[in-house]
Amino acid sequence: MAWFDRLTVIFAKSISVISTSLGLGAGETWPGEIAVSIRPDIARFLSGKLSDGTILVAGTNGKTTTSLMIKTILEHIGDSVVHNATGANLLNGIVSSFIRNTDWLGRVTADMGIFEVDENSLPVVLKYITPKRLVLLNLFRDQLDRYGEVDVIVEKWMTALAKLPKTTEVILNSDDPGIAGLGRVIKGKVTYFGLNDPGKYLGVREHATDSIFCFRCGHRLTYDGIYYSHIGSWRCTKCGNTRPVPTVTRGPSPLPGLYNQYNALAAVGVATSLDIPDKEVKKALRGFAPAFGRQEEIRVGKKTVKLFLSKNPAGFNASLKTVLEMGAKDILLVLNDRIPDGRDVSWIWDVDFEMIPPSVTVGVSGDRRYDMAIRIKYADIDIPSSRVYQQLEDAIVKSLKKPLKGNALYILATYSGMLEVRKILKGRKIL
Amino acid sequence: MKQSIKIAWLYPDLMSTYGDRGNVIALQKRAAWRGIEASVVPVTLETNVKALAGSDIFFMGGAQDRQQKLAGEDFLKHKGPVVKEMIEAGVPALFVCAAYQFAGHYYKPYRGEKIPGAGIFDLYTVHPGDQAKRLIGNVVARVVHPETLSGTVIVGFENHGGRTHLGPKMQPLAKVIKGNGNNGDDGWEGAVYKNAIGSYFHGPLLPKNPMIADWLLAKAVGTLIPIDDTLEVMANNAMR
Repeated sequence: MAWFDRLTVIFAKSISVISTSLGLGAGETWPGEIAVSIRPDIARFLSGKLSDGTILVAGTNGKTTTSLMIKTILEHIGDSVVHNATGANLLNGIVSSFIRNTDWLGRVTADMGIFEVDENSLPVVLKYITPKRLVLLNLFRDQLDRYGEVDVIVEKWMTALAKLPKTTEVILNSDDPGIAGLGRVIKGKVTYFGLNDPGKYLGVREHATDSIFCFRCGHRLTYDGIYYSHIGSWRCTKCGNTRPVPTVTRGPSPLPGLYNQYNALAAVGVATSLDIPDKEVKKALRGFAPAFGRQEEIRVGKKTVKLFLSKNPAGFNASLKTVLEMGAKDILLVLNDRIPDGRDVSWIWDVDFEMIPPSVTVGVSGDRRYDMAIRIKYADIDIPSSRVYQQLEDAIVKSLKKPLKGNALYILATYSGMLEVRKILKGRKIL
Repeated sequence: MKQSIKIAWLYPDLMSTYGDRGNVIALQKRAAWRGIEASVVPVTLETNVKALAGSDIFFMGGAQDRQQKLAGEDFLKHKGPVVKEMIEAGVPALFVCAAYQFAGHYYKPYRGEKIPGAGIFDLYTVHPGDQAKRLIGNVVARVVHPETLSGTVIVGFENHGGRTHLGPKMQPLAKVIKGNGNNGDDGWEGAVYKNAIGSYFHGPLLPKNPMIADWLLAKAVGTLIPIDDTLEVMANNAMR
């Protein structure tokens, strides 16, 4: 019934175009929602029309950046790509991206799909889309009130991955014990990426770790070294479960921060598996521009704002460490508790704010600014009430009015806070 | 007044899911700001039970199922009896979320056998079935016990499937104003037994409810000098 699928796409597309022109929203998710409600398996039809197949990227942190890196590489070598660039990463968001990339006869106008996928949605997306490549980055505690616990996601993924055919090649992070362990249920080829750089091991471990017990036997894992959170060179001394030896260990990372090194390795892993020459990968990533709100630089008059999405303990620790390495002296923290941020903000106590030296000026804003202010106070960092800003715009204006001690104002914000910062500084939330 | 205290943090690597560290930091800092040195002793699977001796305050937090099982087995067999004895003798303690459930007589999952608890608290927890709603969200409650704190308002976040019911030896900690509390039914939140408190509030409990932190500290060291709580009070008020 391909004609019915096409008709569905044309119908959803028409409504989307009419509503967008009437200013009723950009249609990130609901054209897909309409199509899925008419035809639940519409994603199967759409992805089946891509001559070069689909690549899916999932994980708690880094999926937007990694999928953008892969897209950048693919476009560099001349592929035409459909991609959920705005981060709408549930099934309806993916179908919406397709609908934007169809003509008026309901035909898909790209050769290849590259989509980031929400952790909880991966099983349902895999039900309809059989990817050519699947990249799994990491799993950290994130929005426990919405996603549940890391162990639960690992289990759901394991069940879904076991059903994948031999033709799906999977690219896994060898250094995350929960991710690496998924390799044993996969029928197709598995490529592991990871770091071999003991010089970058942490001296003191972070508090926020999740998968430090063996997924096979439950015994405490032994680490030769940890790069961040529970990511490192691990083994189980009881049952012999060990970190697989990664084959992709080097890649040109276009962005600062160890976590971006991992994102780059994942992208290189995909490129290598598609026989794209290293030279072209390097060339492609040289001009890489960060995704919205991910280390994004925004000029405001003569000053620079650097915006870091920071939405869970592992991600926040990574952002903090990176901005301090970049020379941050003025930091604004924005904490919201809306649906996309998670309603529970207790996770801020798992972030190691204690790493911020006294020379740094810290301000706070967002719906839950007082929670953040207390967290900062209990890290023995000075936070006078004059730097607890009720209005985000006020926070940005006042922080930029003073002479900056460092090279930029660094804003670390949860998801909805990040979008608001963009709205204030760029006039639009996403792209 | 005591000049130094030992806070025993039970299973910091296993039972520490919802920012539980915040409770330990709050105790430690609120002691330090008063010139009392507070050292934190991590007590986990490999720790010898002797390390518990001389503890001035106990804390135990929430966990993922797999981790709770590991910690639970060890606690029942080794550390639990010692902690129980010390709490009976009046050592202050705080049990949050999974630890609160586990301090009771048992936890009855919706499938399978009852899981025995440490029996420190006279309470039990029942999971009403996989179709039952998880109790998730911000909570506001008015303290009823301990009496010295009666009438103060505590705020936090709850996220639990199990419903906890108190036995006659327990006193409820607070009356729920907004949210669910122990079981979403009888209107109580948390429990007090001697100088030990149990609560479903993570969020975490102590930073935004400093009077609870100070009550525990005072039980360990004696009368406390007041400190500036302007930010804490604002954070507490903001959630009401």
